[in-house]
Order: sequence, then C-alpha cells, then structure tokens
Amino acid sequence: MSVIGATSLSGKRGGESRFALRRIRSSGMFWACCASTMAVITLLFLVAGYLFVLGLPGISWALFTQDATGDPEAPGGLRHAIVGTLVLIALSGVVGVPVGLLAGVYLSEYSREGRGVPARATRFVSDVLAGVPSIVTGILGYELLVVPMGHYNGWAGALALAFIMVPIVARTTEEMLRLVPDSFRAGSLALGATRSQTILRVVAPAATGSLVTGVMLAIARVAGETAPLLFTALGNRALTWDPSQPFPSLTKQVFDYVTGPYESQKRVGWAGILVLIAILLVLNVSVRIVAARAVRSRT
Amino acid sequence: MKRFGDLILAVLTRGAAACVVLMLAVLLGVLLLNAAPSVRQFGAKFLVSSQWRPNEVERPVRDAAGKLVFADGEVVTETIPPAFGALPVMYGTAMTSIIALLFAVPLSLGSALFIVRVAPGLRIAGPVSFLVEFLASIPSIAYGIWGLFVLAPFLREYVEPWMARVLGAIPGLGWSVSERIVSGGEVIVKPIPLTGRDLLCGGLILGIMILPIITAVSRDVLRTVPRGQIEGTVALGATWWQSCVGMLKYSRSGLFGAVMLGLARAAGETMAVVMVIGNNNQIVPSPFAPAQTMSSLLANEFAEASTGLHSSALLQVAMVLLVMSLVFNVVARKLVVGKGGRTAASA
Repeated sequence: MSVIGATSLSGKRGGESRFALRRIRSSGMFWACCASTMAVITLLFLVAGYLFVLGLPGISWALFTQDATGDPEAPGGLRHAIVGTLVLIALSGVVGVPVGLLAGVYLSEYSREGRGVPARATRFVSDVLAGVPSIVTGILGYELLVVPMGHYNGWAGALALAFIMVPIVARTTEEMLRLVPDSFRAGSLALGATRSQTILRVVAPAATGSLVTGVMLAIARVAGETAPLLFTALGNRALTWDPSQPFPSLTKQVFDYVTGPYESQKRVGWAGILVLIAILLVLNVSVRIVAARAVRSRT
Repeated sequence: MKRFGDLILAVLTRGAAACVVLMLAVLLGVLLLNAAPSVRQFGAKFLVSSQWRPNEVERPVRDAAGKLVFADGEVVTETIPPAFGALPVMYGTAMTSIIALLFAVPLSLGSALFIVRVAPGLRIAGPVSFLVEFLASIPSIAYGIWGLFVLAPFLREYVEPWMARVLGAIPGLGWSVSERIVSGGEVIVKPIPLTGRDLLCGGLILGIMILPIITAVSRDVLRTVPRGQIEGTVALGATWWQSCVGMLKYSRSGLFGAVMLGLARAAGETMAVVMVIGNNNQIVPSPFAPAQTMSSLLANEFAEASTGLHSSALLQVAMVLLVMSLVFNVVARKLVVGKGGRTAASA
C-alpha cells in the first residue's frame, strides 16, 4: 500500500493545472496524517516522560521493603500496597478466571455460531458487562459486601475486580478457541475421544498461549483500576493478609498520596505510579510476545 | 465412565455461562433496588432537574420585591428539603465527552491512516503501533496525575488566558467566558476565574486517554479494506488523499464503532476526570467552568452520603451512567465486530 502512497505523492507534476489543487490538498492531508501521528507519539512521551522524571527520585529499595508509616516526615514505602494489589488480583482471579474461561468454552464449543437463546444471551451479556463503567462495579461491591459486613473490606474489592475480569476473559477465550481449526475437533472425535476429552486435550492445548494472553490482559486491566476500590477495599496503611479488613492497593495508595497535602508522601506516590506503569508495561509486552508466538506456532 | 467427564464439563461451562448472565441480573437488581426510593420520589424529573442539595437548607424568606420578611422582629426563614437532579452531571459528562471526541477523533483517524497507508513503507508500522498500545496500557490514575500536575497548570498559564481573550472578543460569545451570578435578586455578570481545573481540562485528559483505543480499532478496521478497493481508486487517477477518503467511506460503520467505543470509555471514566474537573455540581456553559461528571460525582460523594435519599439518588445517577455506556458499547460492538475489529476484550 505504501507503493500506492509513494506513486501518487511523487506522481508526474506539471501540466493539468486543474489537478494541481487536489494534488496540493492530497499532500496537505498526507502531512496532516503524519503530523497527527507525531502528535500522538509526542503526547505519549510527554505523559510517560513526565511521570518518569517525577517518579524516579522516589524509587529506592525501601519502597519495596517498607510499609507506610503515616508520618509525613518519613513516609515509608509501598510494600503493603504492592502486596495488597497482588492479593486483590489473586482473589479476583480465583473466581474471575475460571468463570471467564468456562463461559468462553461454552460460547465457543457448546453453542457454535450463536444458535439458541442461551448462547446469544450469554454473548450479549458479556459484551454488556465489558462496558460497565468500573466505578459502577465498585458500587456493586459496596452494596453486596460492604453494607452487610458493616465496614470496608478486601473481599468487596476483589468482587468488584472479578466483575471486570470475567467478561474480558470470556470474550478472549471464545475468540481464541474459535481460531482453532475445526479439523482438530473432527479428528479428535473421529478417533473416539469424547467431547470433554476433545476440548480439554486437543482444543484448549492448541490455544493455550492465547488463553494465557486473555488472562494476562484481564490482570493488566484490573491492576490499574482505582475506581472500583474507592468504596470497597478503601485502602490500609498497614500490611495485611486479612481480606475482611480494609485492604491496601497500589492505585488507591498512590491516589491518596498524590492528592494529599504532604510533599514527602507525594514523592512516594509518584514513585508508586512509575512502579505500576512498569508492571503494566511488562505484562503488556509479554502478552504481545506470547500472542505472537501463539500465532506463529499455529501457522 | 467416559461420558461422565462430558457431563461434568457441560455442566461447568453452562454453569459459568449462567453465572455471567446472573452477574448482570445482580448488577441491575442491586442498582434498581437501591435507587428505588429516589426513583419513587423524583421520577423522570430527576433527569431534568439541576438541583443537587444533599442537606436541608434554611434560608430567609423574601417577598416579591426581594426584601427580607420580618415577623416579631426576626427574619422569617423557610426550610427547603433536600433535592436531587442529574442534569448538571449529565451535562458535565456530555460536554467532557464531546471535547474528548473533538480532540481525539481527528488525531486518531490521522494516525490510523498513517499506520495503515504510510508506516509500512517506512517499516515503522510495528513500532508506531506498539507506542499506541503502550499509551493504552497507562492506567487512568496516571493520566489523572499528569493532568493535575502538568495539563491543568499549562492550560491555566498559557492556553486559557489566550482562549478567553479570543472568545471574549468575538461578539455573541461573551457567555463562554463569563458567568451570571444571581445574588439577592441582582444578576451579576463576571468573568470566570481561570483555574485550569475545569471542563476543558477534563475533556482533554479524556481525549488523550481515548486516543489509543480509537486509533487501534480504526487501524484494525482500515486494514480490512480490500486492496482492490484502494488500487481501483488509484487506477482511476485518485490522489493519495482521495483514495484514503475511499477507504474511510468504505469502512465508515466500523470507524463509527471505534468512535463509539472511545465515547463509552470517556463517559465511564472516573479517576482521570475526578482530579482535573474541579468537582462543582453546576451548569455554566463555558469550557473554563469547573464541573462534575456522573462518575466523578459518584467518586466524590458516594462514600460520604449521609442520608438514605442521598445515596439512593447517587445510585440513580449510577443507573443513568450504566445505561448510557451500555448503549454506546452495544452499538459500537455491533458495528466493529466482523470488520476486523480487535478482540472484544482488548477493545
């Protein structure tokens, strides 16, 4: 396609003056497209660069080994918050990943091409759930688990995050399993395997890489969420493993520090956001690598 | 015994599917149930009322001439009950989303065209795509922080004074830089103080946030335009831009879907907005006025809601927000799916 672009850009000049105008307009729009790409990339470097410069001075070993002190003179580190985020992801994943995977298997293997009301309903609902604003899932966690327990707690946060995970995992699982050629299934069934054997031993292994991609995408998405945790896990300055208590998380802790009054805590918050971006970047890059390898091995 | 495994897997997968449907039912049920008191009290008026008073207010009674009424030597006061209306936050959400789209759509479509039509020839399609995806992986709170510490001060110092001068000089646009304050029966018109934390800043932050999603989806949609379509237009003598217009026209419904996905993202976003919007529940038709969106209202007030009616009204706002973003999402997916759109999850 680039050849086309090059030809019409450097096409014959001169003569046909009535074409001059549209040629000028064409090259104008060509440069406008280049400029908008430059603008997008510049914005990226402005945002990422600023956060990097802001956060770098706060990065230290203590950030990962100390908990918050609550003392503005010596704000401590973010160990509690990092652990909290990991625990919240694990808790929501324990529920969200199996439900999402199984629902995806159902959509792809048990209800081909959307025949039947249950399949269509499930697909529609998982689309709908994927579009629920994350703050609304936080409200749901509040009403379902915070109100009955009487105080903010980690379970509610995990529930809110699981709500975000399920539709992401379900839809990617469905789409990835659909990419497995039908000849795999036919071959397996023809050899006398049962349906469950076909799915578990033939279809799923052929798509394992992509299924991992879906799960990692969901984790990356959830790890960066703050809004669902505002009224559920709330946050905690101490390291805790008990999800029935208010629970710390990296995003909420960063939010509190950065919007708070103390310069020293802001430094920790800025470093925290840098840590978070680094984690998400690693997750996303490995997703790309895994996905690329999965596609290569399939073709 | 072999069939037993079949049975288990069938039950498990159907159970999971039922669980997904159940999740939506629970979500809607919980919201409806808790919003019911507010729905019963305000009904459809909730959507057109701009009152948002969580607490009772006592204020002096004034007569027709605007004078205070005295009785027994004391000022007569009246108690106004709490009232809730969603119009200001709906206005805030709509305006920030519009500003976001005005900013993001041209840049995104330009970048998508660049990635599809120009970058492959320069062998940079991969890196440019990667950078766009990286922009998408930055969490919303990071955009909020950037907006708070960089964009808002920048707008306040450099952009807004200049914009205010230009807009103020255009006859008929005076309303866009000043606000009318009714105080004691008098109407005062005064210029809006430029704080940088306002509708404009909220909209721009949202615009930056939705750039990558619109770019990535439009790129995937544009890539599905058949090569013959492009070659055909060029063979007929079209310039580079004219063949691009052909591509845009060919995939217009998919591109519209991409924009709708961005819109849904913008309308539902909380953290980036709450830090830069100024959080003021009002309708002032100026880009420099602090405002409030539905999601920022929830983030600000939900935890502190003191009365049952207040939190019920907040849940009604959540219902409105939910329904709105669901409509955007469902429409968008209908348009993008099958047009080379990326996976539903990553979109």
